[in-house]
Amino acid sequence: MHIIVCMKQVIDPEVPPHLFQIDPVAKKQIRGRQPLVISDYDEVAIEVAIQLKEKTDGKVTVVTIGEKETEESLHQALAMGADEAIRLTDPAFEQTDALGKARILAAAIRRIGAYDAVLCGRQAGDVELGLVGPFLAEELDLPCATLIANVEPANGKVRLKRPTETGYDILETSVPFLATLTNDESNVPRYASVRGIMKARKAQIPVWSGEDLGVGVQDTLLQLEELFVPKREMVCEFIPGESGEEKAHNLLLRLQEAKLI
Amino acid sequence: MTHILTICTASAEKLPSSALEVLSAAHHLGEQVGSGKVHTLLIGHGVEHHAQTLVAHGADEVSTFAHPRLEQPEEEIVLQVVAAAVEALSPDVILFPHDNLSGGHVAPRLAHRLHTGIVTECTGFEVADDGASIRWLRPVYGGKAMAYMTIAGPIQLATIRSLAFDPLPADEGRQGDVHPAAFSLDVDAITPRIVRVDQIVTAEELEGLSLDQADIIVSGGRGMEDKENFTVLRELANVLGAAVGGSRPAADLGWVPHSHLVGQTGKIVAPNLYIAVAISGAPQHMSGAGSSKTIVAINKDEDAPIFKVAHIGVVDEWQNVIPALIEECKQVVG
Repeated sequence: MHIIVCMKQVIDPEVPPHLFQIDPVAKKQIRGRQPLVISDYDEVAIEVAIQLKEKTDGKVTVVTIGEKETEESLHQALAMGADEAIRLTDPAFEQTDALGKARILAAAIRRIGAYDAVLCGRQAGDVELGLVGPFLAEELDLPCATLIANVEPANGKVRLKRPTETGYDILETSVPFLATLTNDESNVPRYASVRGIMKARKAQIPVWSGEDLGVGVQDTLLQLEELFVPKREMVCEFIPGESGEEKAHNLLLRLQEAKLI
Repeated sequence: MTHILTICTASAEKLPSSALEVLSAAHHLGEQVGSGKVHTLLIGHGVEHHAQTLVAHGADEVSTFAHPRLEQPEEEIVLQVVAAAVEALSPDVILFPHDNLSGGHVAPRLAHRLHTGIVTECTGFEVADDGASIRWLRPVYGGKAMAYMTIAGPIQLATIRSLAFDPLPADEGRQGDVHPAAFSLDVDAITPRIVRVDQIVTAEELEGLSLDQADIIVSGGRGMEDKENFTVLRELANVLGAAVGGSRPAADLGWVPHSHLVGQTGKIVAPNLYIAVAISGAPQHMSGAGSSKTIVAINKDEDAPIFKVAHIGVVDEWQNVIPALIEECKQVVG
């Protein structure tokens, strides 16, 4: 199977709250010294794609929209086990919303040609709208499965595992299809092997422009008007005690006093 | 007059509380835009009896679309039902609950088909003085920041985040216009391209009280170190009549089932008492637990971010505190 993964690079979301800063005029996060990483659910999608490649003797292509610095994340995906990576970049892509991004990705996927699966993270690790996957399915007119944890090949079709309240559903669809991925114990992203890292280092990453894709400036249907950090004035009341037992005792008294237990 | 449509999928047994939260959001929006009428599309099989509950909680009109194939709603069918409703009813605003079915799937695809913008997981809104433009508020960056967004397009579409709005108090005497949906759709002719072939109930998923039923939640994080140690949290939960939750590392490592994951991509909870044990307090977790009325944090690291959001803190190893707390509680609760 040929599996295409759409990946976004973000500023590491694990930044502690006191180091988190925004630029209210540019309406975006200030990177500071934070590393750039693969958005977490996209990393899950890469993991699922590589598992599916291993089950089907297939191939994984990772696509991203971004500047040169995103190549670091593409190299990481290659080191994990992806076979090819493509970077899409153009000044016209800069101010696009989810619809614009879905159109750029759709054009790139059409240009790649034959494929069986398109996998996306359920939502990005920064704005978290969760729109690009479903929009892309509409753009490409593909069966759309959301919040999937894993994919198994099944006699020319695929079976999709979707976690539910009480366990999981098994869905079936034909190829090609699109799925958005969520995390579970079956898809914890692997570490890159040393061999993988060596191989990825040598890889050439093609860069496709708006002209290559036949995509220009897109309509913007969603506008970010204002970004702010809410003020939280919270003082934690620490429970005193010399030992764990004493703290447990005092905690219980405090909870009873507050009528919480 | 602004016509607000809320979308509600229900089972015969249960009207989800999210439906009432969305109605509450619609009611507040209607007040702000002036003369907003709230119309609810109720979708399911054998769900007609829920219509009066929706009216009591703020719906002015309820259109019911019922069909046996909607007993367990599939995204593809719900999408077509809602699309048919939008065509027939021409709403100005459509509000969905942000659940896996609507927020994660149907609403974004509908927005694409209508060529309009959509804001997911809204927790509030502001209406310009002229009543014309709506600024939708939602958390971003794992809840570390908030954003106001506006939609260009023929219809305003938004999904409402769980627990962001309190349902309006029920007014049993309230009158509403309740009727079957005035549009037709041949549901039997729909062939979804994705079909459910199996439903698997895993034994471990049936873990005690569910998170949304509990007044008290005991949650554990990565600092619990292994699956066996969660037994201690289950014991504490058992004594307190609490539900057990976990942070994302705990769920990813299989220590708690994913249906008990508390966080942005798991459950959003707001119990009276939330006891976070060995949880660092990552934004992704706190955006799911941050609305709890009282948060108690037990963590060995006094600099852990959890103490920035907790009301009551205990700095110690969980091993020193939790077993002692269980013994203390046993004596009190009896």
